[in-house]
Amino acid sequence: MRTPRFLLGAALLFWGWQTDFLAAGALMAVILEGARWTKLRWEFSDDDFSRIWTICTLLFLGVAVYAFTDNGGPARFGNFFHNASYAAQTSAATTRTASAMLRWLPMVLFFFVLAQAYSTREEIPLSTISLILRRRWKKAAKSGKPVPAQRGMNVSYPYFAICLFAASVHPGKNNSFFWGFCALLCWALWTQRTRRFSVLLWAGVLVAAFTSGYLGQHAFGQLQSYIQTLDPQWFERFARRSGTDPEQSRTFIGRIGRIKLSGRIAIRVLPAPDSIPPQYLREASYRIYQDGRGYRGNSWRAGTARDAFQSLQPETNNAAYILVPKTNLGRANITCYLESFSRDSGVPVGLLPLPSGSGRLENLPAFVLRMNTLGAVLAEGPGLVSFNAAYGPGATMDAPFDPDEMTSFTNRPSFGWNRNQRRETRPDDVVTVNPDLYIPEREQAALTEVVSQWNVPFGNRPLAMRAIANFFESNFTYSTWQEMPRMRRRGTNQSPQTPIGLFLTRTHHGHCEYFATATVLLLRKLGVPARYAVGYSVHEKSGQEYVVRLRDAHSWALVWNERSKAWQDFDTTPATWIDLEAMNASPFQKLSDLWSWFGFQFAKFRWGQSNLRQYMIIGLVPVFGLLAYQIFARQKRHRKNHPGAAAKLTWPGLDSEFYLIEQKLMERGLARGPNETVSAWLKRALADPELGTTAEPLHDILRLHYRYRFDPEGLTETDRAKLRHAAEACLKEIKARPV
Amino acid sequence: MTLILKVLYRFYRAFSWLRYRMRRRLTPAGWMVLIALLAAATMGVDTENTVVYQAFTPMLFLFVAAACFSIVFRARFSVRRSLPRFATAGNVFNYQILLRNLGRKTQTDLSVLENLADPRPSFEEWRAVQIAREKKIRSFRFDQPRQMKPFRRVTIKDAPIPAALPNHEVEVEMQMTPLRRGIVRFDGVALARPDPLGFFRAFHSLSAPQTLLVLPKRYPLPAIALPGIMKYQKGGVALASHVGQSDEFVALRDYRRGDPLRHIHWRSWAKTGKPIVKEFEDEFFVRHALVLDTFIFDPHSEAFEEAVSVAASFACTLSIQESLLDLLFVGTEAFCFTAGRGLAHSDTMLEILAGVSVCLNKTFSSLEHLVIEHAADVSGCICVLLAWNEERRALIAKLQSLGVPLLVLLIAEPGQGERLKRSIGPGAPERCFVLEAGRIEEGLAQL
Repeated sequence: MRTPRFLLGAALLFWGWQTDFLAAGALMAVILEGARWTKLRWEFSDDDFSRIWTICTLLFLGVAVYAFTDNGGPARFGNFFHNASYAAQTSAATTRTASAMLRWLPMVLFFFVLAQAYSTREEIPLSTISLILRRRWKKAAKSGKPVPAQRGMNVSYPYFAICLFAASVHPGKNNSFFWGFCALLCWALWTQRTRRFSVLLWAGVLVAAFTSGYLGQHAFGQLQSYIQTLDPQWFERFARRSGTDPEQSRTFIGRIGRIKLSGRIAIRVLPAPDSIPPQYLREASYRIYQDGRGYRGNSWRAGTARDAFQSLQPETNNAAYILVPKTNLGRANITCYLESFSRDSGVPVGLLPLPSGSGRLENLPAFVLRMNTLGAVLAEGPGLVSFNAAYGPGATMDAPFDPDEMTSFTNRPSFGWNRNQRRETRPDDVVTVNPDLYIPEREQAALTEVVSQWNVPFGNRPLAMRAIANFFESNFTYSTWQEMPRMRRRGTNQSPQTPIGLFLTRTHHGHCEYFATATVLLLRKLGVPARYAVGYSVHEKSGQEYVVRLRDAHSWALVWNERSKAWQDFDTTPATWIDLEAMNASPFQKLSDLWSWFGFQFAKFRWGQSNLRQYMIIGLVPVFGLLAYQIFARQKRHRKNHPGAAAKLTWPGLDSEFYLIEQKLMERGLARGPNETVSAWLKRALADPELGTTAEPLHDILRLHYRYRFDPEGLTETDRAKLRHAAEACLKEIKARPV
Repeated sequence: MTLILKVLYRFYRAFSWLRYRMRRRLTPAGWMVLIALLAAATMGVDTENTVVYQAFTPMLFLFVAAACFSIVFRARFSVRRSLPRFATAGNVFNYQILLRNLGRKTQTDLSVLENLADPRPSFEEWRAVQIAREKKIRSFRFDQPRQMKPFRRVTIKDAPIPAALPNHEVEVEMQMTPLRRGIVRFDGVALARPDPLGFFRAFHSLSAPQTLLVLPKRYPLPAIALPGIMKYQKGGVALASHVGQSDEFVALRDYRRGDPLRHIHWRSWAKTGKPIVKEFEDEFFVRHALVLDTFIFDPHSEAFEEAVSVAASFACTLSIQESLLDLLFVGTEAFCFTAGRGLAHSDTMLEILAGVSVCLNKTFSSLEHLVIEHAADVSGCICVLLAWNEERRALIAKLQSLGVPLLVLLIAEPGQGERLKRSIGPGAPERCFVLEAGRIEEGLAQL
């Protein structure tokens, strides 16, 4: 099936108009439709078509890889040879890779349809497209079996459909696509219509379908809006959420049993040669401890609204951000994954693990960077980011301690094991206190019990830190195992103890969250402002770099140093925790590390953090060149070796007027079958009673036509004139007959 | 296991029904619109980044409108089909359908399709094919044998009907390719009318039940000097109405090993340069046994089909050479058919071979008993076997010990020829050949 004249050109123009590739679309349309006006044709063999298909396939793969590795999609292809501005990619990041690939399909497949248009063949053998068929043919030929018959396909209509689909890949703001699509569809269907029915009926069906379609698409939009208004929380359950939450950190405090963490490598740190590697990578810090009702749900919250994130503007080179203006002594390259996805833009998002005292971030490929007052830096960007962090002692990203900041907290009544112990909240439960000094009411008893044993003046930071460090060092052990505790004190009617209370007074073992939380609360009890920090501990060296595993996730306390006006790290977890965690490592860790490395390399490639993408696409250029050379050089060689073959064969009698009669009869629905001889066909055609009177002259014309075509001596001038006149007369008569 | 297979069989029936219906109903343009619809439905969900949904709705309504036009098609026609008596598997042939328009309106743009009887197999047959396929699948190999369509018997191309005037008869030439031997049952014909948009076809069915016997494919055999000598036949002259050793001279023929020297026609030898013997009518004559092995697990095995074809080739050729031929095989029971010398023609033998199927419920020993029973009467034996294992070796050894001259043809599955050749040990008869399915003609030419 061939497309009607100019349909493909119109489809390409439509595609160009809709996708802002108008110039490309117009050029392609002119080249493609130009085949109707020029007699230039190539004699492509099956192998040539295969090579052209290979070019298209490679082009498609190249585009696919590029679109896959660049969230901006192939529309950003112009930025290929220079370093694109990451900030400028924010808008393009929402473009889906698949959509981008589809939009480019008409360009990718253009060479193939062009080859068909400018070839001497009407159809392209299916074996050039289908690997299975090609393999089957080759296998049959190799084994000496009869090769199955070749089947051909005209690719015009599939290409037309691809153009229309590609034209639809854009966020539509009006109905131009709809009406253009309908017009092109009418054009395409006109030649396919059944002659049995009147044109009026055909047009009526189309109008009815398009009107219903127009109304239907609005209904479709309304349906989708309705679905979107359904309970968003229900849908949210299906959404993927992972990574650290800057607003809240749910702890494992109070969980029973063993906490198991994965040995998967999450972060890679490569310190500069003359730098001391960072000890901790902090992701977030929190101020308010919330002990959950019952025995679970203990969490740290970031705090009030002033902790909301503020955008950070990059420096002029668009990839460097200043967090704190200061002198940075250390420098390290950090590579980490952004594992969540933004609800608004759909792009990967995550908190950056940063060394304590980070002042500047360089070469950060983030689209958007935001920071809160508690030192959490949230990045939106590719799924894997690699950047340089400059850090050093002194000021940190966190907002300084503000003694005047006051917030009201409601101390919830103690939970009880029976209903009699529970009561409603009273006004005197509400306390107003600085968030960096807040201690939940239910933790007070245990903290008082511990602190009362020390002789530390209120608000003396060095003494408080020393006392706490000694306390944990002498009495506590690290453990990831928690047994079921007896919460209520035996023989008393007191409220049951909290997990932190139990940890401090009875169990004396726990994991880092216990230590960090208890440290923060004890410091606050002693009048020293403190915060709770989460992140990773950096300790495992692997070659030049340090690897940080998921099980290296850690929490510690931040203490306000009034002298240096900065928050400093204070980790009271026994140092043995690293060895104890390492003991839990899988025996197959080497294998899993290898797998992690492959995953890391792929992620680098996937998220455009390596140069492989550029090399790969540049590498495709010589392959295209080689294939094009093979196609055209072969033809040149063939023409040189077979000079006679190039000359066009002119068969006698091809200008016979009988062909006009054949055409006319075909228009009357009397087409000649593919294997039908002319005489058999004429016999069948003359069965039509309307043509009865033309039977005799037609037989004479056929006889003369046969002689003209096949008689080596041809026709005499008189007979040739006779054939011409008789055919013209017969044509007139056929035209006069009703269909 | 059977329950799972039964569920799968139900799926197979439903899916093949759907595929059959859709292939008939939808035109190429209809298929394109359907594929486009599915693509639009998949992509149209994302209304923020694409406007595919704008293409989906008009296409959907066009499709539905076209489908509505294909619900009813009324026409008055009478039909007559002129089929040949036999067809041969693999050979394309044309036949005619005569349609008379009994209505008052000229019918145009119609096409005709054949309505064949449901070719879908019973559960047992389907299961046997699936199990046989499972056995052929080789683990960790991408290059699995190609899945054939074992239940498809014929392909018939749709043919356009020329404009049919009222009360006029039109002739439509149909092209049919029989794919397998056996009986093809026609239920009737269907007249198809496209809808105004050309997506769907509406059908009007006409009853025209008929059957066609598709004979096995035959290969040309080279001039094979078949083994064996003439033997006394119990049927006597009545059976030997043509060729034997009585005093009645019948004809001259080429010398065969074992012919008495006194029958040599020296003049003809002198003329032709090769030994020629005289043939006489008598109850002593050549009688060959053609043993067909039907013991294979796959009911639609390619090797088995080729074995039947080889047997059919011998059945045709031997009849021409005017000897008696006993066809021995085991189907539902042990069969022995004799053809030649006025008993039955090769057509009958081919008809029998057209209906032969594999034997799944008996053992090879039943064929062995049948062959040994007949061994005393036959001059020579042609064995068409499907494997070379202990049972078959034992049969051949027994025939050799009885002094029956043998021609053993082993038919291998495609690509298994060399393997089978290697498995033939030293005990094999002198004339034992391996023919590989798909390359049988080549193998036969080398006999």
